[in-house]
Amino acid sequence: MAIIEVSNLRKSFGKLDVLKQITFDVNKNDVIAVIGPSGSGKSTMLRSLIHLEEINAGSITIDGDSFVKDGVYAKPQEIKKITSKMGMVFQHFNLFPHLTVKENLELPPKLVKNEPIEMIQQRSNDLLRKVGLTERADAYPANLSGGQKQRVAIARALMMNPEILLFDEPTSALDPELTGEVLEVIKALAKEQMTMIVVTHEMGFAREVANRVIFMDNGEIIESGHPAELFTNPKNERTKAFLSRSLK
Amino acid sequence: MTLDYFTSILVPMLEGAQMTVLLFFIAIIVSIPFGFLLTLAVKSSLKPLSLLAQGYIYIMRGTPLLLQLLLICFGLPMLPVVGEYLVLDRFVAACLGFVLNYAAYFAEIFRGGLLAIDKGQYEASQVLGLSKWQTTTRIILPQMFRVTLPAIANESVTLVKDTALLYAVAVPELLHYAQTAVNRDFTIVPFFVAGVIYLIMTLVLTFIFKGIEKRYKFE
Repeated sequence: MAIIEVSNLRKSFGKLDVLKQITFDVNKNDVIAVIGPSGSGKSTMLRSLIHLEEINAGSITIDGDSFVKDGVYAKPQEIKKITSKMGMVFQHFNLFPHLTVKENLELPPKLVKNEPIEMIQQRSNDLLRKVGLTERADAYPANLSGGQKQRVAIARALMMNPEILLFDEPTSALDPELTGEVLEVIKALAKEQMTMIVVTHEMGFAREVANRVIFMDNGEIIESGHPAELFTNPKNERTKAFLSRSLK
Repeated sequence: MTLDYFTSILVPMLEGAQMTVLLFFIAIIVSIPFGFLLTLAVKSSLKPLSLLAQGYIYIMRGTPLLLQLLLICFGLPMLPVVGEYLVLDRFVAACLGFVLNYAAYFAEIFRGGLLAIDKGQYEASQVLGLSKWQTTTRIILPQMFRVTLPAIANESVTLVKDTALLYAVAVPELLHYAQTAVNRDFTIVPFFVAGVIYLIMTLVLTFIFKGIEKRYKFE
């Protein structure tokens, strides 16, 4: 069974239709790359999945539970419960600047999860080791490089034990030489079978890590398929045009 | 000019300075939380509450503090019917005036501080499952406090100097004793002494705030 089911999602800002009839499924352990030109609605689509944007019509079902069905939202508590199965990593990291790296990781589960503190600390130690930042545990975000910040942000999202991770252009705000370290972390998560949706401009990464690529343009899914297929043999003209521009 | 004379004017002035310091602490401790509540009221989605708070801030910032103090000390008791119950102790009345006035300024400072906080902070809090209350108290307030510290420091220095307005409502404080000595002894020395005492108070305050800023640098 699909872990995420999106059907007939529509959203408009005023007269502008940002998302038109978006429908797709995500299976457990899928790594989905969402590509497309700027303004194609990729980020809005991703943000709708975790209720950072309200949609106007359509349904979103996470792990069997719909938090919005035919454009009607469930009660806030219900939405919160359903969306808590997902974690999100932002383009601009959104770390809490007044907390150290360790506090960034530990504060949310301390506030939200009913767990013994030792478990939380154990997990933050493990995750910091995993993203290679053990020695920066007591640093403030202001003193980290962009790549380090994003790795902390990924660890922070993982602290909540999500079943699904959403990435909104995780490397777009980084200097080119810093994207590698972040992509490595995401690759490692893919190896561990984490279910992920990654909105990205990194075609090489999409090709290497994703098991499915979704190409969006103008608020619609134009084409989707296995990366080997979609990148080498795109069917739609718009996909071809976009890829020839991006792969240059 | 003898040392004896110097001491004879300094002692009452330092007693007066106690009044200044007391008013300062009462005003700062009460007006900061009150100001923050006003900010929340302004930002409230309840339109009448928001308008009420905005109107309050407009009036308090748009009229002289001296006028407000005179009104509270001498105006309120003149009101028909309720006036006789509004005869407050002068110092209490002055504290009330300062708190009501400064809260409006602090409300504006905090509103600016909230505007400076990136919406990504709210979004990150939401996706991590924090409640509105947790987001406000654990994520937004500490950052707002940090951003507004220099403005709060500035406002506090102004407050120290504004305490001299107590003179106008006849609460004996630092400036009152200085003025008395000037008139009595026909010398301007007490004014300079008063000036130096104010400078020392604002200097101490500046150092305290510098210390707090350093402590909350987040680097």
